[in-house]
Amino acid sequence: MKVTFNLNGGPQYLDVEPGEPLLWLLRQLGMKSVKEGCATGDCGACTVLVDGRAVRSCLMLAPQIQGKKVLTLEGLGTVDDPHPLQKAFLDSGAVQCGFCTPGMVLVAYELLLGNDNPTRDEVAEAISGNLCRCTGYVKIVDAVLLAAQWKREGRWR
Amino acid sequence: MHRTGIRRFHLARDVEEALSLLSAYGGGGALLAGGVDLLRGPPGQVEGMIDITGIGLSQVGEARGGLAVGATTTLTEILKNPAASAYVGGILCEVLRQVAVPPLRNMATLGGALVSAHPWGDIPTSLVALGAEVRWRGEREGKAPAEELYRGEFRGLFRSAVATEILFPPWNGAFAYEKIGRARYDIALLNSCCGVGIRDGVVAWARVAVGARPDRGERLPWAEQALVGQKPRESLWGEIQDLVQGQVEVGDDRRAGAVWRRHTAGVLVRRALIRAAEKAGR
Repeated sequence: MKVTFNLNGGPQYLDVEPGEPLLWLLRQLGMKSVKEGCATGDCGACTVLVDGRAVRSCLMLAPQIQGKKVLTLEGLGTVDDPHPLQKAFLDSGAVQCGFCTPGMVLVAYELLLGNDNPTRDEVAEAISGNLCRCTGYVKIVDAVLLAAQWKREGRWR
Repeated sequence: MHRTGIRRFHLARDVEEALSLLSAYGGGGALLAGGVDLLRGPPGQVEGMIDITGIGLSQVGEARGGLAVGATTTLTEILKNPAASAYVGGILCEVLRQVAVPPLRNMATLGGALVSAHPWGDIPTSLVALGAEVRWRGEREGKAPAEELYRGEFRGLFRSAVATEILFPPWNGAFAYEKIGRARYDIALLNSCCGVGIRDGVVAWARVAVGARPDRGERLPWAEQALVGQKPRESLWGEIQDLVQGQVEVGDDRRAGAVWRRHTAGVLVRRALIRAAEKAGR
């Protein structure tokens, strides 16, 4: 079936299978930041933003994004030109194996879009659905708070 | 990740179209709102997926002094709604903040939680405690208290009907919700939603519900009766705790044992009642 949607700022007009998970579609489109972890919505590795809200792409079907805007990490920044939020993760040492990082960055991005001065508890709540087996979360929370500070200072684009 | 086995996807335009499609598929169709449960099931169970998020059932508003919530309203949308935040001192939002994690709350809908009705769920216990009424459209329009639905064959009903709205009545008093899980964002090992109204210094009405026992949340009418007419005091909450620990029906499952549940049910009810009475007395 035909699906029209916006992926990272660009229009897409595609044929998709009715039962195709959004996660599979995005990876086929080269969005390799979207990871398959648990495939049951528990780990958060497949998180993307749909119309500005963080969702689990493993629990969504591709046809559900008809007419919607999808943002993956690829739409946020690049290796050569990282988003300040990504740079905050690097500067804070909040990345180890990196598998959870795209989901972490995107749930943090959703939080900071609506709240540029979150408390540690609010950051912890925002990332609570994303599992990290490496960092112990402290540096991830530090990174989000650093990015929030940069946003308040007008250093976000 | 397995293949879903879904062969067709429909974006229903209204309730009538959703019902027509559901009927056409017989048992092979499923309604899709939040979708947090549908893709977790075994593959091949659903042939036709019917998306009902565009049929106009996503809204929250005051109604008859209480609150009306469209069935496809997401938990996040409810949490951000001023009318929902104000409803009976914010009890609905107090509950929803404890359901799962933000990305799942962005997806999950109140109607989905009502129909999925997981026994460990926070929402079914609260719907029962708050006296929520469910409206649906099937062959005919219907309505019933959530409590009554859960006592009957509600799963059969919603195989050929669309839940449209959940109505929360006004309460002149306050409620509180208590939950224990293994981690802060885990599903409940046990939960309790309790409410009281205080008039002339005594309890005028009481609602006591306990869920994840491991069965779905139910009211404990004998505990409610024991509260009515009593003066709110520390010893009363202790007596109710003892009563619940003596009479509540609990069981074992892989998450917790019956002995722990029996003891903890009394503790949660006492904690919820104390907080509800404090709020009601303000």
